[in-house]
Amino acid sequence: MKIKKILIANRGEIAIRIIRTAKQMKIRTVVVRAAVEPNAMYLEYADEIYDYSEELPEIPVFLDIEKIIEIALNTGADAIHPGYGFLAENAYFANKCLENKLIFIGPDPDSIYKMGNKTIARKIALANGIPVASGSEGNISNIEEAITLADKIGYPVIIKAASGGGGRGMRIVRKAEDMEKFFIIASKEAEKAFKDPSVFIERYIENPKHIEFQILGDKFGNVIHLGERECSIQRKHQKLLEEAPSSALNSDLRQKMGATAVKIAKAVDYYSAGTVEFLLDSDNNFYFMEMNTRIQVEHPVTELVTGIDLIQQQIQIANGNTLNIKQEDINLKGWAIECRINAEDVQAGFAPDPGKIENLSMPAGPDIRVDTGITVGSSIISSYDSMIAKLIVKGKDRKDAIKNCKMALDKVWIKGTKTTLPFFRMLVRNQKFLEGTFTTAFIEKDIEKYYLNSEYEEMLAAWLATKMFVEENLEENSIQVDFENGKEMSPWLMNKRMNQF
Amino acid sequence: MSTLQIKKLYTLSSENRKFCFTLPLRNKIRIGKRDYVVSLKSDEKYGTYILWKNRKYPVEIIRSRQNSYEILFNDISYTFTVETPFSMKRMKVLNATKKKVEQESVKAPMPGKLIDVCVREGAVVQRGEPVVILEAMKMQNEIQSPVSGTVTRILVKPNANVMKDDLLVEIKVD
Repeated sequence: MKIKKILIANRGEIAIRIIRTAKQMKIRTVVVRAAVEPNAMYLEYADEIYDYSEELPEIPVFLDIEKIIEIALNTGADAIHPGYGFLAENAYFANKCLENKLIFIGPDPDSIYKMGNKTIARKIALANGIPVASGSEGNISNIEEAITLADKIGYPVIIKAASGGGGRGMRIVRKAEDMEKFFIIASKEAEKAFKDPSVFIERYIENPKHIEFQILGDKFGNVIHLGERECSIQRKHQKLLEEAPSSALNSDLRQKMGATAVKIAKAVDYYSAGTVEFLLDSDNNFYFMEMNTRIQVEHPVTELVTGIDLIQQQIQIANGNTLNIKQEDINLKGWAIECRINAEDVQAGFAPDPGKIENLSMPAGPDIRVDTGITVGSSIISSYDSMIAKLIVKGKDRKDAIKNCKMALDKVWIKGTKTTLPFFRMLVRNQKFLEGTFTTAFIEKDIEKYYLNSEYEEMLAAWLATKMFVEENLEENSIQVDFENGKEMSPWLMNKRMNQF
Repeated sequence: MSTLQIKKLYTLSSENRKFCFTLPLRNKIRIGKRDYVVSLKSDEKYGTYILWKNRKYPVEIIRSRQNSYEILFNDISYTFTVETPFSMKRMKVLNATKKKVEQESVKAPMPGKLIDVCVREGAVVQRGEPVVILEAMKMQNEIQSPVSGTVTRILVKPNANVMKDDLLVEIKVD
């Protein structure tokens, strides 16, 4: 093994996930301590910590290319794992690693560049006979051009950022009058998020399923796929729940889509782990959407049904090893579901709800995997994403996995912020979800209430409110407290109240 | 207020559901023909919780103002007002004479950075039309007008950092 020490240019659960595999492979790990979370959980797992907490940089250190390279060189790391987000899909950074004789654990900078630019990726797909939704050939430079093209391909259309990803810089336009407004918003958002205002237009596929294929390739041109993930449960193009496999695919369609995924990966000489995203319409037509040139948040569901450690594969491939798995070795076994437990307010349309985690307890068991970088005392801060934990549950089939998921969800205990748990509790009981017929429109169109509560829960909450009222207003020697800060003082306050009762 | 005069309390949810509790408040709730014990507990591991039918539910009092309480119960928040039989009567009379809301304010639903203001003072907006774009936690959120009306006041500028519940825009209802 050439790789002896990896600098992890990331934080949170993915840093811990990478460290877990590195330890098994007897590779040392280095992580960076940042000022915004100097006591974060991931720091406890690494062999070495590079302390950067004295600095209060304008951009997070995980986005600072020069600094990350400098840390790698200073700590004697021979490889960098970027995780997801931050610099994971930055071709310039990947190239900088190579220039400094550091192994970038990911694909070649050229593959990142080609797939990262959606307009180029689209052209490559078209040149290789891969189905894409009809749309513009290149970028669209002005509103008039956008309107002319949209009239030709027909509404609704979707405006996408050429350098986009993660749902930013995307707008659906249903009628010509809205084009100007959304074109400006999408372009501005793209400029801000990706420093590139260019956008392109595609026909918007109504109510599709979002199906993606995990692929693995080595530096010798071998590429295989590891089956699909079903990621249709999303809001604002952000995934909330993922499954592997998908109930929408039979083995024929799986083979066809898998072969297409392999084909596009080969077209850009792809190596490392990657994901090819498709939209699948109700007639089982599929369209190439984009390729993500990194490890993904939802990679565990694929790991649970294939038994393959994707991080290990990434490291071995980066090391220059030949892929040790063949397509015929891939057998999907069982069913896996991942719930993204985020600090979000489901009742306020999934608005982020940052805060400090006061209590946390996650279920455990043979069918349960929890990937988290958060512990009691951790803060969910607005500089980073709102993830608290990924709850990944397995079953022998979909029904069994949902049953296990339902039980596991009831055992999750989190206090300090609002979470997406009430949404999942509703979801695992929803008829359309149970049938597996949901599409990406599910959250917006198919559900009336984003969360689950029983009438008893509201009644019990009413009882608590009444109890507070009685104690404050009707009881002798009631304590007078300033309830403006009720949340901070609650444990102490509640104790005092309970003793009175 | 004296306990002797009040026999029951009405606890009203923001969605107008009414729960009635007799006084003195018991720690038992009757469902059908059975009484179930409800208890409020707190410990190091779980924090504050309610124990009901052998199951623990996390609870938190988020806000309390006069007779209004916002309770977080099992990750869902509820707002209640607790009324005595007297205040209930008074409220009914008040409600009957209450006028329609004329002014609606748009508040920041979360802390973040204001990316854009999509309307001008004096502009006519439809219900659901985006009025500002707020960026929080890697996402741009369109904050929509809750009503159809005319924008009377804009209290923020692009690039401003706002806190949750900061007043952003005022709209005069049509």
